[in-house]
Amino acid sequence: MTIDYNELKKGGFLRQRQKDNFIVRFRSLAGNLTSEQLRQLADLADKYGKGYVHVTTRQGAEIPWVGINDYNDMKGEIKALGLNTGTCGPRIRTVVACPGREICQFGLMNSRETAIELDGTFFGREVPMKTKIAVSGCPNSCAKPQENDIGLVGAVEPILCAEKCAGCGLCQKVCPHQAISMVDGKPTIDRAKCLLEGNCISSCPTDAWQEGRRGYLLYAGGKIGRKPRLGQVVAEFVPENQVTESVEKVLKAFDVLSQQGERIADTIARVGVKAFRDEVAWTGIESKLYDGPVNSRTGSSTGDLGKEVG
Amino acid sequence: MENLKIDAELDITADVCPITFVKTKLKLEQMQRGEILEVVLNDGEPIQNVPRSVKGEGHKIILVEKRGENYRLLIERGE
Repeated sequence: MTIDYNELKKGGFLRQRQKDNFIVRFRSLAGNLTSEQLRQLADLADKYGKGYVHVTTRQGAEIPWVGINDYNDMKGEIKALGLNTGTCGPRIRTVVACPGREICQFGLMNSRETAIELDGTFFGREVPMKTKIAVSGCPNSCAKPQENDIGLVGAVEPILCAEKCAGCGLCQKVCPHQAISMVDGKPTIDRAKCLLEGNCISSCPTDAWQEGRRGYLLYAGGKIGRKPRLGQVVAEFVPENQVTESVEKVLKAFDVLSQQGERIADTIARVGVKAFRDEVAWTGIESKLYDGPVNSRTGSSTGDLGKEVG
Repeated sequence: MENLKIDAELDITADVCPITFVKTKLKLEQMQRGEILEVVLNDGEPIQNVPRSVKGEGHKIILVEKRGENYRLLIERGE
């Protein structure tokens, strides 16, 4: 039997160290698997593997020890069950997500809904280099969006309605970044320090802090691997209904600027984040992202995370 | 503000998260809509989280006041 390894990889069948064995990669949709899917995976692991699954770092599950002669049978069974297989190689990978606003008390955006939409549009698309996308509902960044080639972080902009403010100072206490100080009994905010979490909004007893813009911060250029880097912000407050369009713009910018063998992180390191942002050209981006002070939000202080290893 | 009738009092200065909020929530559940609960809590993590959680559950915070090392909250029970 001749084996087309590239074709196999596209469908989530990975070569195993042991000759004639494969690892079959499944993906979840934005991190959720139904109890039925879990039972089906358990049955497949018993039938074709060694009775276990390996849980991946990208919210998937892999069944190792699948024999080469079972390939067709298993593939047919997976198709009949409607299970989602993963992919590997130079493609857009499973879009991962935190639980998000649906259930998380900190969530600002419906990260899972967004991830499912992105997965539907981008999963498996052939790209020059592997490309990973992650979505987090708030700046706590539990889905590690800054470590992905493209990352989305839910954010909200606090706006003070001064006449409602009772001057209690609670917002100053709840801000984890000391962005708010009380001046003459009223809060003032240092926008450069604000990480857009909205603790001031959710805590304010008199609703003096209100929501301004709400949306996603769009990061590009994160990766782990042998030379880890953190992504940097290329667009701010992307609304839920423009997420696909904005990710498409990042991929387009990458396509225009990249050289062979580069991931987005490498391209940004070579051309600079300003040139990359200019190519993405997301309307509504604030000029302070280009010229403003270095702060943790724009991520402009992040270069190589660690020293080059290996 | 100080003329408000306080219907119940709670001291959570000996507790840590999430018991701080759990105790506050349980206390509020025993009260009637519109009644006032006074809560004394620590600086740091409790003052950062308890008011937000209380507001998120639909109650109204009517006073936040520093009292020595601690904070004092007045909460009006919501729906």
